[in-house]
Amino acid sequence: MTAAIVRSLIMGACFTIVYACSESPPVFHDTERPLRLSDWKLFTITDGEFVPSQASLVFRPANQLFTDYAHKLRTLWLPAGAQAKIVEDEIDYPVGTILSKTFYYPRASSTELLNSSDAGLDKILLAENQLIETRLLVRKETGWDAFPYVWNDQQSEAFLRVAGASKSISLSGNFDSSANESLNFTYFVPNENQCSGCHTTVHPDGDMHPLGAILSQLHSGGSSNNIASESQLDRMLARGWLSETVASTESAESWQNQSAAVDQRALAYLNIHCGHCHNPNGAADTSGLILDGSQAPAVSMGVCKPPVAAGGGAGDLQYGIVPGHPEQSILLYRMQSIEPDEMMPELGRSLVHREGVNLIKRWIAEMPGNC
Amino acid sequence: MTNTNLKVAALVSGSLLLISCGSDEPAMPELSFEEALQEKLIMAKAGDVINIPAGVHEITRSLSLNVSGVTIAGEGMDQSVLSFKNQIQGAEGFLVTANDFIIRDLAIEDTIGDALKINESNNVQVLRVRTEWTSGPLSTNGAYGIYPVQSNNVLIDEAVAIGASDAGIYVGQSSQIVVRNSRAEFNVAGIEIENSTFADVHDNIATNNTGGILVFDLPNLPVQGGRNTRVYDNQIFENNTDNFAPEGNIVASVPAGTGLMIMANDNIEVFQNSFTNNDTANVLIVSYLINGLPLDDPNYDPYPEAIYLHDNQFEGGGETPDSEPLALLQSTTGQPIPDIVWDGMLADGKVAEDALCFSETGNTSFVNLDASNGFTQPSFEASAHACNLPRLSEVSLSTTVK
Repeated sequence: MTAAIVRSLIMGACFTIVYACSESPPVFHDTERPLRLSDWKLFTITDGEFVPSQASLVFRPANQLFTDYAHKLRTLWLPAGAQAKIVEDEIDYPVGTILSKTFYYPRASSTELLNSSDAGLDKILLAENQLIETRLLVRKETGWDAFPYVWNDQQSEAFLRVAGASKSISLSGNFDSSANESLNFTYFVPNENQCSGCHTTVHPDGDMHPLGAILSQLHSGGSSNNIASESQLDRMLARGWLSETVASTESAESWQNQSAAVDQRALAYLNIHCGHCHNPNGAADTSGLILDGSQAPAVSMGVCKPPVAAGGGAGDLQYGIVPGHPEQSILLYRMQSIEPDEMMPELGRSLVHREGVNLIKRWIAEMPGNC
Repeated sequence: MTNTNLKVAALVSGSLLLISCGSDEPAMPELSFEEALQEKLIMAKAGDVINIPAGVHEITRSLSLNVSGVTIAGEGMDQSVLSFKNQIQGAEGFLVTANDFIIRDLAIEDTIGDALKINESNNVQVLRVRTEWTSGPLSTNGAYGIYPVQSNNVLIDEAVAIGASDAGIYVGQSSQIVVRNSRAEFNVAGIEIENSTFADVHDNIATNNTGGILVFDLPNLPVQGGRNTRVYDNQIFENNTDNFAPEGNIVASVPAGTGLMIMANDNIEVFQNSFTNNDTANVLIVSYLINGLPLDDPNYDPYPEAIYLHDNQFEGGGETPDSEPLALLQSTTGQPIPDIVWDGMLADGKVAEDALCFSETGNTSFVNLDASNGFTQPSFEASAHACNLPRLSEVSLSTTVK
């Protein structure tokens, strides 16, 4: 018994040596569930910097989800020689593909984190940033599987937390161009079921699938400081990760695109924040409220629609959307709430997303009609 | 592993690490009861029984189960308590999406939202489970207690549901349902069957709710056309608690003092129940149009049809109606509201008999409110409804839970 333990620990230590001291390519684990993120060899921590493997592609989807103002570093990796195909107008990734998303905040001080716009860094200086969690989406023989890893305070390792985790955060800075503020909140790392809550859009029998690393989301350059502005699909082609060009695909609209029309931006916002559940096959189809952009702004999008099972989430209001009256619209009420039983989305945020609220407020205010 | 082993192992690995990279092996975090339980739920395999030991277990985040064939077993609804009093995340206490699911002998208390939500699951048994908000009927309580939705073959037996700000036991958009031997108390709706087909609701006690038992069909939902529900052998008494549902929700319109309310559902058989002292009305049968809400759903039938009541017992009730037209009626007549109240709204081409038949023994009273004409000509004439309808068949849960 003791000998076996010592052996396994020696092996563990050896892995640590390799991880910490030199770069080796990522490792796909098909059946194991590594307890340590380092076992995947997706990143190194070198000279105080968190650096994705050179074998991975750092990417950024066009239309991004709000997660309590966290910054995100996303990587895609395919095993050597593997290639994704286009199947039914979508990327079908090969077994062994690993997607990662690392959530972090810049530091304001030793105790406080800083709200700033996400520059899309492709490596993270640990002296200036705090890593929170790294989520993996791994394409196994049996389909996609999700693994939430949570960073320790020393930022030396992230551990698999099947049941999720929570962390108290103090975040300061300018929010939505208002005065400097400090927000204290509990940041939640999702558990594995909650991962599938969003990544399984056909409920309940559908499979998990990526939401960011998809055709419409990768069509753009992932514009930011350090990420090249050529199409991210072209970069995948250049690596031999895609077998064909897919120029005909339309790029997803970004809710952040200031030059787009308000209704386009609003629909993009609702799609990425609500459409995973609020689609005709989603977990929230029980409400009859469909927000994935497949419906016109009519009753099924909440216009003059009474709530079904909203409870306190109705906010003592009558309808999902009252055209011209954001203040009478349940949709906006739930976006502005941080009560767990009222807020929407249910997962992925503890703070109000003020920029999102302002966008939807303006959209409803400008919407013609009445109830 | 013994302590000695641990020490030796730690020593060896520590020195190795020191030599190699000069850093300590980072330590694995410990799991709380809650985290360990959620981890078990995620890692469960079909056939597993997950035990909830006796005691009050504090849970702060929603629990969820996505694995079929799992049983959650406590040691009794007053012994094994999952308390969500300090819940900080999640719209429900326990969210289940799993077929062949059994949950038994435990309590779920004080969830911030719904207590037990079972979404799109087939072959479900909820046995001797209590859901309760322990501070009494408050509008800040969660909406639903026991809440299967879009599920089939659902058995709820010997359950207790207390304090829900919408419905204590709520089965929505489902089929093949049995709710029996259960008690619903101090909820807005005690037991509600909504947009569902083939339900038997029997041998339950519904008391101190705003409305005892509701059978509703609502528009703009993916599953509608609610029909074929039998409500029988229930004791439905003193459902006179003030309505504490948050505004905007359909149950906020249920008058306090409602025994049984049927809205827009078809083929409902109500028999051998005892209705006692429900102070608005013992039985209300209404169309969705009574709510005065906009209706934009060409596939939706807002009228109740083929409602059949027989062999029920009525005693008291209708003394203090919590509804404007009913209060007016009472003050005009100087009499309590009759036992059976129908709003009188009919689809084009239909007659009174198509909506409602009853053959009650004794002195059962009735009123047609004439709601289509602004309640101007209420009628107490019951002869148009003196008819019988074919009995509905018993719901047989088609699959035995493994």
